[in-house]
Amino acid sequence: METIEKLRILSGSARYDASCASSGSTRSGGKGSLGNASSGGICHSWSDDGRCISLLKVLLSNDCRYDCAYCVNRSSNRIPRASFTVEELVDLTVKFYRRNYIEGLFLSSAVMHGPDETMGRMVSVVRKLRREERFFGYIHMKVIPGCSDELLREAGLYADRLSVNIELPSQASLNLLAPQKDKQSILKPMAFLGNAIGESARERRKNRKAPRFSPAGQSTQMIIGASPESDYQILRLSEGLYRKMSLKRVYYSAYVPVNEDRRLPALRTPPLLREHRLYQADWLLRLYGFTAEEILSEEYPQLDEQLDPKAAWALRHPEYFPVDVNRAEYAALLRIPGVGVTSARRIVSARRFAPLTPEGLKKVGVVMKRARYFITCSGRPVERLIDRPALVRGRLLLADGATVSPSSQQRQLSLPGL
Amino acid sequence: MNIYLYDGSTEGLFSAIDHVLRHEPDPSAVVLGRREPGLFEEGVVLTTDRERADVLVRRFSSAFPRNAREVMYALFSEKEEIATVLLHYIHMVARHGGQVGAHLTHPVVNEVHLLACKVARELNRMKGLLRFAMLEDGSYLAKMEPDYNIIQPLSSFFTRRLGAQEWFIYDVGRGLVSRWDGSTLQYGALESFHAPALAPEEQEVRRCWKTFFSHIAIPERKNERLQKSCMPMKYWKYLVEKE
Repeated sequence: METIEKLRILSGSARYDASCASSGSTRSGGKGSLGNASSGGICHSWSDDGRCISLLKVLLSNDCRYDCAYCVNRSSNRIPRASFTVEELVDLTVKFYRRNYIEGLFLSSAVMHGPDETMGRMVSVVRKLRREERFFGYIHMKVIPGCSDELLREAGLYADRLSVNIELPSQASLNLLAPQKDKQSILKPMAFLGNAIGESARERRKNRKAPRFSPAGQSTQMIIGASPESDYQILRLSEGLYRKMSLKRVYYSAYVPVNEDRRLPALRTPPLLREHRLYQADWLLRLYGFTAEEILSEEYPQLDEQLDPKAAWALRHPEYFPVDVNRAEYAALLRIPGVGVTSARRIVSARRFAPLTPEGLKKVGVVMKRARYFITCSGRPVERLIDRPALVRGRLLLADGATVSPSSQQRQLSLPGL
Repeated sequence: MNIYLYDGSTEGLFSAIDHVLRHEPDPSAVVLGRREPGLFEEGVVLTTDRERADVLVRRFSSAFPRNAREVMYALFSEKEEIATVLLHYIHMVARHGGQVGAHLTHPVVNEVHLLACKVARELNRMKGLLRFAMLEDGSYLAKMEPDYNIIQPLSSFFTRRLGAQEWFIYDVGRGLVSRWDGSTLQYGALESFHAPALAPEEQEVRRCWKTFFSHIAIPERKNERLQKSCMPMKYWKYLVEKE
């Protein structure tokens, strides 16, 4: 089979992996080496689905021995199978990189004969890139659960980021949809990576020449909407992963029905809006100091599809507002709808020179159509409506152009059999 | 109100700013403009002193590196009337220190900051969207038509990234070209351009990239609006995948 034909098959099989981040790592070689990693990450293109392309995202092989219900590559599917040779993939990566098509390689694979054999071949690709080609671009590698610690250790020396897919948000769903995978075999390599990453970071603080281990940390991904877990369960799981496993990112991938299977829900379209709201809530967990319990609860286990989770929280907590932008601490500013991490930082530094007015807030990047209901500027309110949350909610929806219609299309329809 | 005129070059601008800062009691009331030959001139014409311009740039950059970056980026925007704003900005920074760069509600700081942001954004985009093609002799050529004059910071980025290969970056709109031969970076202007022959492998690599590009998108998630908002169509002209 020609390389281009393999590329067609193996990029088509890899596209359901959500992550394409190329950030969090700086790496550069000496004279004669190829490439560098830039800490902010760089996007090189955007595909027709609007997702960024930063890395050459491919599977090494789609010839899988597992039969997971949701996966396009499951062994019972009759689809063309292909595998790259190590040389082919290294050559392709280098040729793309030299033309600035990509920031690096995202390498995943179906499980061929067994975890060790598959992971071993993936490691040979990145070893060849780093050692022989002297490639210093970004490398993201998937971990095949069940592979040996030695392979994990070697992978961590070459990759900028490693990730183990948690696949589904609960053991029950894994049992049903991916009977050959189980939670323990997924959490074990995650814990191993967490330790190794932390240890390497500590070593490097003592000695700058200590070897790096997956310097951009680890991430994971789960499929949303193929199983019945609530948003609350999902956010609690993510929160636990961030706290206990010190993950850099959890990715949510709206379930795209690729297989006919009685165990799977019938969806008309992927639950994109739900995925979007989960990402917003995830941002609140990681960067805004929120806890999962603040965003959702047992009584209200689903995110509001019409309103972003921060605005929804603010409307449930009128007692917290108004916040005075000229006096409040950074953490309190972050809780205002319409104020982000950047604008909160800018408020803190700009107000040292002069108190901020509604006009000035606009200049530093605050989204006033949302923030106006929740703030005062040196005691002066912009809108006196905070004690009427229902009215504010209506106004917020109106300000966002009230895109209610597409949301109802994207809503999940049914979850048969679960 | 005092009006000064300079020759329009970057050195001329900094030399003029240096002059105003040293001789004017209140630089914030001075207007600095580009001298338009042949027009009726109102204002004091300043001659360019390269040495003084150099000293100002060096001192300002080492004392206030972050502010100097904003000034350089704002300058790359090539916006008309930028001279006066930059004069007032440099004056403010020299007087109040680098922190004044965070005084974003001040009109001068705000204007410099916004311009610098726009330029930085395009520079960042172009770091990803620039496409090199391999030529017959093994060197690489990238063409672009950016809104702002970003060839300098962009080229220096690629000296680090693709330092082991020879390349050219060609700003088609401005007729500017940069050349990296593996050890030094040179800039020049281009009067006319003849498309050089491509390396034999080039078409095959492009076919591979297009194949990858079309198969990495999930058809059920098709969203052209999002694609166009992240990657505006003005950049598509030189993108292999959008040919």
